[in-house]
Amino acid sequence: MSPLSSSLLNPRLSFSLKPLFLFSQSSFAPRKFQIPRQFVSAKRKTFSDLASEQSSATDNGGRSGRGGRSGALSPSPVVEEVQRIDVNPPKGTRDFPPEDMRLRTWLFNHFREVSRLFGFEEVDYPVLESEALFIRKAGEEIRDQLYCFEDRGNRRVALRPELTPSLARLVMQKGKSLSLPLKWFAIGQCWRYERMTRGRRREHYQWNMDILGLPEVTAEAELISSIVAFFKRIGMTESYVGFKVSSRKVLQEVLRCYSVPENLFGKVCIIIDKIEKIPIDEIKRELNATGLSEEAIEELLQVLSIKSLTKLEEILGGAGEAVADLKELFSLSEKFGYSEWIQFDASVVRGLAYYTGF
Amino acid sequence: MSPLSSSLLNPRLSFSLKPLFLFSQSSFAPRKFQIPRQFVSAKRKTFSDLASEQSSATDNGGRSGRGGRSGALSPSPVVEEVQRIDVNPPKGTRDFPPEDMRLRTWLFNHFREVSRLFGFEEVDYPVLESEALFIRKAGEEIRDQLYCFEDRGNRRVALRPELTPSLARLVMQKGKSLSLPLKWFAIGQCWRYERMTRGRRREHYQWNMDILGLPEVTAEAELISSIVAFFKRIGMTESYVGFKVSSRKVLQEVLRCYSVPENLFGKVCIIIDKIEKIPIDEIKRELNATGLSEEAIEELLQVLSIKSLTKLEEILGGAGEAVADLKELFSLSEKFGYSEWIQFDASVVRGLAYYTGIVFEGFDRQGKLRAICGGGRYDRLLSTFGGDDVPACGFGFGDAVIVELLKEKGLLPELNLEVDNIVCALDYDLQGVAAEVATKLREKGQSVDLVLESKPLKWVFKRAARTNAQRLVLVGNTEWQKGMVGVKILSSGEQYEIKLDELE
Repeated sequence: MSPLSSSLLNPRLSFSLKPLFLFSQSSFAPRKFQIPRQFVSAKRKTFSDLASEQSSATDNGGRSGRGGRSGALSPSPVVEEVQRIDVNPPKGTRDFPPEDMRLRTWLFNHFREVSRLFGFEEVDYPVLESEALFIRKAGEEIRDQLYCFEDRGNRRVALRPELTPSLARLVMQKGKSLSLPLKWFAIGQCWRYERMTRGRRREHYQWNMDILGLPEVTAEAELISSIVAFFKRIGMTESYVGFKVSSRKVLQEVLRCYSVPENLFGKVCIIIDKIEKIPIDEIKRELNATGLSEEAIEELLQVLSIKSLTKLEEILGGAGEAVADLKELFSLSEKFGYSEWIQFDASVVRGLAYYTGF
Repeated sequence: MSPLSSSLLNPRLSFSLKPLFLFSQSSFAPRKFQIPRQFVSAKRKTFSDLASEQSSATDNGGRSGRGGRSGALSPSPVVEEVQRIDVNPPKGTRDFPPEDMRLRTWLFNHFREVSRLFGFEEVDYPVLESEALFIRKAGEEIRDQLYCFEDRGNRRVALRPELTPSLARLVMQKGKSLSLPLKWFAIGQCWRYERMTRGRRREHYQWNMDILGLPEVTAEAELISSIVAFFKRIGMTESYVGFKVSSRKVLQEVLRCYSVPENLFGKVCIIIDKIEKIPIDEIKRELNATGLSEEAIEELLQVLSIKSLTKLEEILGGAGEAVADLKELFSLSEKFGYSEWIQFDASVVRGLAYYTGIVFEGFDRQGKLRAICGGGRYDRLLSTFGGDDVPACGFGFGDAVIVELLKEKGLLPELNLEVDNIVCALDYDLQGVAAEVATKLREKGQSVDLVLESKPLKWVFKRAARTNAQRLVLVGNTEWQKGMVGVKILSSGEQYEIKLDELE
C-alpha cells in the first residue's frame, strides 16, 4: 500500500465546515478588508488529527448529520465584516418575483395569443445592437435617451430603445428569401437612459406587430383591429379606451405648400409631437429654428387643431393622399366593426422620425 | 373667410411620396454625407402649384392610388448615397427569424412545463446588474469574460453572466417575507465578453431551477430528477446522456489534511475545473502558485481520478460528509427511478467558486460536446453578499449544447407555421365582409391570416400552402348575395358553402 493511501485510511471523522473562510478572499466587497495569506504547513494531517480538531470547531450553521435548517430565515453569526450588496435592482429596472412574474406572463400570453389569432409569426433580435442603428439625427427623444456605451472592444453599442430598426435590419438581411406580405410580431425589452431624478423607468417590455409588403391602408386597419381584439380580451371596452388617428401626410401637404424641404419633415414632426408636453411658444421657437416662416407655423398649428375629417377635407381638398387614406381607414373601421373605437385628431404625429403615413 | 383658409381651398391633388428624402438627413450611417441646408422660400405655394410639379416628380415606389408593390423584395433606385448598415446582429449574438424562434419557443415551453410539473414558480431579474454582484476574485472564467462597462452615469454595470447572484440578491431583498423552501425557476439571457477569434457566442439563454431553504440531499435529487424529466420529454434517453456527480467536500477533505486554508478552496476548485481543458503540467503549476505543496497536489490529482464511490470511501473513510452525501444521492436516485442516469466522477468540480457540496453536470455519452448543464449546492452564497446564509442548490441549463445534441441525434422537432384559416375576399368590395369573417373566427379562438389586398386565387393558394392553412374561406359576390361564404378544406379538397353565422 502506497504511503499516500495509508495516510488517508484513517478512522472516520465528521467535522463541521467553516464556510465563511471559504469566501473571505473572494468577498463581493473587494476593498473592505484583507485576510493575511496563510502558508500551507509541510506536515500533512490525518483524518484522526482532524477529528480531534472538530470538538473545538464552531458550528456556523454547517450541516452535521441529517438535520438541517428549515423554516424561515434566521441570522447566522457574522464572523467577518462583509459589505452588504445593494439588494435592489439597478436604478430604473425591475425584478419580477413570482407574483409580478405571473402578471407579466398573463399579459404576454394575451399579446401572443392575439398575434397568433391574426396569423403573425414571432421573432426576436439581440437586446444589444450597434449604436448606428439608432442614430437618426431628427432630434427624437428616443435618441437623446439612448442607452449607449462602448463595449470592451471599443465599439459603440446600445441597448435598443425600440424594436423596429432591428426588424428592418433582419428584413434586409433576409432579402429575397422572404415572401411578402410579412406579418411578424415580437415582445422585447427596450431601454432608455434617463436621469433618475424623475423616478422613471429605464426599461420596459414592448409588444410589436408589423406588416411588411402591403402599401394598402388595410394593413393599418388590420393592426388596429388586433389591438381592439387585445383590449376586448382583457376587458377594456370602447368606453374606456380609444384610438386617435391622423397621417403624416397632413403635415407634409401643409409644409410642401411652403416649399419646406422634405429632409426637414422628420424634425418638424418631432417638434410637433411635443405639443402637449412643452409650452406652445417653445414649439413655435423650435419650428422657427428649423427654418419655417411665421406664416407656415401658424398654418401648421391651425391644421393640427382639426378634430374632424370633414373639416380637414375642406382645408386640404379631397384628392390629397392624406384625406384619401384617412377616409379609407374610417370606412374600413366600419366594416371591420370597430368604428366606435377610433376618431380623427390632426394633432397626433407620434415621436418617431420615420413614420410616413399613419 | 380668412386669407389662410382661402389659400388652402384649392383643387385636389394627389402626388407621390419621395420617401428616401425623408430619411436623407436621418440615415443610419451618420458621417457619410451632408445635405446642404435649404432655406424655406417666402412665397407659399398652392395645391395647384404642387399639382403641376407632380408630373415631373419621380415615383420611388410611393403609393399612387390603389396599386401597390407586392411579391418579393426588389431593389429600389437609390436617389442619394446612403451607407448600408451592417445587416448582421452584433458579433456573437443571434437574431431569431420565425423558424429559429419556433425552435426556441418549443425548447422554452419544455423548460416551463417541467418547472411547472415540479411545482416551481417563475421569476425574472434585469439583464443589467451592478458589476459588484459578479466580482468574486476566485479566478473564475466567468469573471475574466464579464461583459461589463460604464453606463452614462459612470456606474460600473454588467450584462449578467449568470442568474444565481440575481436570485441571491432578490432573496435577500425579500427577506423574512419568503416562506421556505423556495422553488424558483427562470429563463434568462446571459452574456460574456469573449474575443471573437474563437467564433463563439457572446450570449445564450439559460434555464435555472433553484431550491432554497433545504439542506438535505433530497433537494439535489429533485433537481436532477427534473432534468431527467426534461430529457425524457425531448427524446434524450439514458443511452445518449448522463450525469457525472461529485461533491466539493471531497476536495475540501483532502485539502484540509494539508491545512490548506479554506479561503483558497474556491481558487483550487477553479483550477481543477480546467483539467480537461489545459495541460496537466499547467494545472500543477497553477496549484503550486496558490501555495499547495507537491505532495498535496499529487494526492489531490489521485483522488480526482477516482470513478467509483466505493473506492472513494476506502480512501476518505465513510464518515466524512462527502461520502455520506454522495451515498445518499445514489440511494435516492434508485428510489426516484433514475439511477441509470447518474455516475460518480471525482473530477467533476464545476467552474463556479460558490459551490459547497454536491456538484453535477449533464454530458453526452459520445463525448463530442461540452457540458449540457451543470449545478450543485451553494450554502454560503448569501453571506458573501453580506446577507444571512440559506441552504441552496440549483442548476443552469443552456440553450446551445442541447440543440446541437438534438441535431446530432436527429431529434430536432419539425416546426412549421400553421394557421387555421386563410380568409380572402374575391371582390374588392367584400373586403369588409372578409374582415367580419376573420373577426368571427378569431373570436372562436381560430387563427386567421386575412388577405388584405386584391390577389389572384393562385396566389392565395400558394400562401395557404406556405402557411399550412387548414382551410380557405372565400368571400365572393355570388355566395354573399345568399348570405354565404365558400369554404375549402385544404387537406382533403372538400369544399362547400355555408352561412356566415353557421361558420365554426
